[in-house]
Amino acid sequence: MSSSSGPVARLEGVRLDYRHRDGWLRVLQDVSLDISPGEVVGLVGESGCGKSTLSGLLLGYRHPSARVTNGRAMFEGTDLLKLDRETLDRIRGRRVALIPQNPTTSLNPSMRVGDQIAEVLRFHGVTPSGPATTKRVHEVLESVSLADPSRTARRFPHQLSGGQQQRVTIAMALACNPSLLVLDEPTTGLDVTTQDQILRLLANLRALHGMAMLYVTHDLGVVAQIADRVCVMYAGHVVETASKTVVFDRPRHPYTQGLIASIPRIAEGGARTGLPLKGLLRRSELPRGCPFFPRCDFSRPSCGDTPQRLETIGDEHQVACQRWKDINPDVDSTRVPPQVRPESGPNETLLSLEHVSLRYGRRGPFDKLLGVSAPTVVHDVSLTIGRGEVFALVGESGSGKSTIANAISGLLAPFTGQLRFCDDVLPGTVEERSANLKRRIQYIFQNPDASLNPRARVRSSLARPITKFLSVASSEVGARIATALGEVRIPENYAVRYPDQLSGGERQRVALARALIARPDLLLCDEVLSSLDVSVQASILGLLEALKHDTAVTMLFISHDLAVVRSLADRVAVLFQGHLCEVGDKNLVFAPPFHPYTHSLLQAVPDFGKRARSIDAPEVGASPQAGAACAFVGRCPWQLGNRCVEEPPPWRTSRAGLRIRCHHEPKDLERLANGE
Amino acid sequence: MTTRASLGVVSFSRADVVRFWRQAPASFRIGTAVLAFHIAVAITGPLWAPYGQADLFVGPALAAPGWSHPFGTDVLGRDVFSRVVHGAHLVIVLSVLGTLIGVVVGTTIGLLSAYLRGWFDTLVMRLIETLISIPYLVLALLAVAAAGPEYAGDPVLLVLVVGFVFSPRVARMARAAGLDVVTRDFVTIARLRGESPWSVVVRELLPNATGTLLVEFALRTGYAPVLIGTLGFLGFGLRPPSPEWGLMISEYRNLLLASPFVVLMPGLMLASLIIGLNMWTEGLARILGRSVRYDE
Repeated sequence: MSSSSGPVARLEGVRLDYRHRDGWLRVLQDVSLDISPGEVVGLVGESGCGKSTLSGLLLGYRHPSARVTNGRAMFEGTDLLKLDRETLDRIRGRRVALIPQNPTTSLNPSMRVGDQIAEVLRFHGVTPSGPATTKRVHEVLESVSLADPSRTARRFPHQLSGGQQQRVTIAMALACNPSLLVLDEPTTGLDVTTQDQILRLLANLRALHGMAMLYVTHDLGVVAQIADRVCVMYAGHVVETASKTVVFDRPRHPYTQGLIASIPRIAEGGARTGLPLKGLLRRSELPRGCPFFPRCDFSRPSCGDTPQRLETIGDEHQVACQRWKDINPDVDSTRVPPQVRPESGPNETLLSLEHVSLRYGRRGPFDKLLGVSAPTVVHDVSLTIGRGEVFALVGESGSGKSTIANAISGLLAPFTGQLRFCDDVLPGTVEERSANLKRRIQYIFQNPDASLNPRARVRSSLARPITKFLSVASSEVGARIATALGEVRIPENYAVRYPDQLSGGERQRVALARALIARPDLLLCDEVLSSLDVSVQASILGLLEALKHDTAVTMLFISHDLAVVRSLADRVAVLFQGHLCEVGDKNLVFAPPFHPYTHSLLQAVPDFGKRARSIDAPEVGASPQAGAACAFVGRCPWQLGNRCVEEPPPWRTSRAGLRIRCHHEPKDLERLANGE
Repeated sequence: MTTRASLGVVSFSRADVVRFWRQAPASFRIGTAVLAFHIAVAITGPLWAPYGQADLFVGPALAAPGWSHPFGTDVLGRDVFSRVVHGAHLVIVLSVLGTLIGVVVGTTIGLLSAYLRGWFDTLVMRLIETLISIPYLVLALLAVAAAGPEYAGDPVLLVLVVGFVFSPRVARMARAAGLDVVTRDFVTIARLRGESPWSVVVRELLPNATGTLLVEFALRTGYAPVLIGTLGFLGFGLRPPSPEWGLMISEYRNLLLASPFVVLMPGLMLASLIIGLNMWTEGLARILGRSVRYDE
């Protein structure tokens, strides 16, 4: 046991390599990190920077193909890297515990969750007897705010929601009262509201038990909310560590500044600040000196040759950059003014949805006989999208955003209602649409890995829509492809590559080029930024903004990321479980009055613009009440008693023209949002 | 132009081939060597075989193996060595052609079924399950019987029978491989583009199922000689005096004690071809499955 004043865990100059074809690839370069008792350290960096490898070391874990050539991983006075498997097993789970990213795959699907927690207790011999174990299981389940612990304990993982599953893994980690928790992206797969609840739970638990945490994430907003100290990693190097306030207010390392600048921020009207990161992390092209040299705006030739050491430049503030004195820490002073789009007058309607309800699956004869019907996913949605505008659909997963896009694209015929495109009724399925209609509506998917045929070269992926839709001479196809690639800023010679020879961002650009090459009128962008790294996201977002300016293309932009929506969209619609809640101009949606759901969404967004969040904001109910007239009943903080359960809420229009579907008057909602 | 590019044109340098050979699993290398031997015999055999396949009484009947007749001679004084050599190309050509028909037909049905789903899929799959539930030898015998006596012993019939027996099994594999690809977004994009089912199958599904189908092809090619040999043995294959190995084993089986070599040698050749094919297939599956890119 260490003395109470020393750090609970400490990495000392760790150097780690992975076997890579014929040689070794350096993944961690002399990394040192202290975690004091009760401290929350946020570890941030882009994917591939070595975050997960580092967090594994604190559990004494190394991948079989990894070797540590230097350094120690001290935990409570012992070097974890020197321990044998048996000794490690006694420490892991008991003194230091891991909370993994994906609870769905980390819980055993064939075991009741209570038994899984009891297994940990029994293995470590923490509780003396069976009844004591059961009691402890209920205790920890209660401590992670799971209602009715004895019932939850008997559930199987698939009977719990994603947020509840993550609570169970937290309970499992807490079961033996560890002194260190390692959290590897614990909220990444969760909805923004669920993420907010988990973060609040973690903050409460830490206040209660005082355990230390290493919080690994790529999301700076989350770090701002939970961490005391932040450690920024780049390509296996720690480039900056400092307290949270210093990192966000006065970052010194160009990479930290770039990371912060790359994130569209919801607080400032979507205006971007600072210079976003350029380029990509390429492990194979690292210089001898500073790893960030190829992407740095402040670099001098000497940076590429001189290895950078962490230098202490202030109170608990360390930076690995020889030029830190020359770098202006005031990120906000380099603010880029928001691009103002010329106000267009009342423009013509390109697409409208008229009372559209959507269901998956067709009713077969047996279903009719048994009275079975598929559940309605989207309820009575009416929308109009004007020509040339960027229309955003927001909502949590399962709210029916993609289902609406499917209906517009013709993958799913409306159950009731109809769609109109340029004033003509849009046939329900692709098969019924003319080639020209198919050309005019193009779809871009979330996952660039799946949207390109892995066995087709970029050239042939792009050539197909040309030959299918446009009457272009075959000699001209090559030129068209080159132009299309140029539009998305991909070098012309990439045309002969296969998708696996492209990075994720490049693949998404090619997918964008494939849609644009058909010269569409309407572009359906379904979560196109979600699976990308922060800096790649910023560059694609820049591309979409440029597109919005330069072409007359209309976009239906689907996203759960409100900050991105705020920086790109003209008009916004908010969906909750297939019901439209609020529609209006972007600036009106993001300002009071709010629909109660929009308000809770905005409240949940982690953002370093609003750090001082009260921890004890009222907990919202997990699931809305079934069968109520308003879908949001049960989660709504401003519910008007029984009226909301019995009467469907009416559409109301605020003075500025914002449409909200709620029993409250817009002026009342404005008052509530302002906390009066 | 687009289809060609999507299937990929890969060029190899000498060094690539050497490295590929070194990294290949041992089973693949042994299998390749055995197959190379068989193919060489099949192609060049008729040129250097000492006697014709049906030359009668070239030596004493039932002679023991010796310099003039390495595998001995049969009751009719035919040189068994020459017959085995002449039979080599028969087995290989019949097996490969039969399997090819089975794989092409099965793949087409399976991939279309995976993409179209609905009633087409249900109907086709039930039919295929019915065919699979019949043991394949019985199915083959039924098919031969159905063709009628006038076609008995026709090599074309044999090839068609092999294709017919294999295609339902291949179709099931192809459907499974296709289902894995169908849900991916690029297939949806193709559908939104208004591509015909045939175009989706050829451009989007087939290139992504080639790995599975190649292994399936090689595996079935390994089973085909067994089927052809068995049919020959039972008298439903080629007709005497064809030197097809299965038929030879059948013809000579009553000589097993008197002159074991005449039965053993065609049997050994058949066995080595099947083992070679299976090892090659297993190695190929491992190469395709391990998904390591041989990058520069």
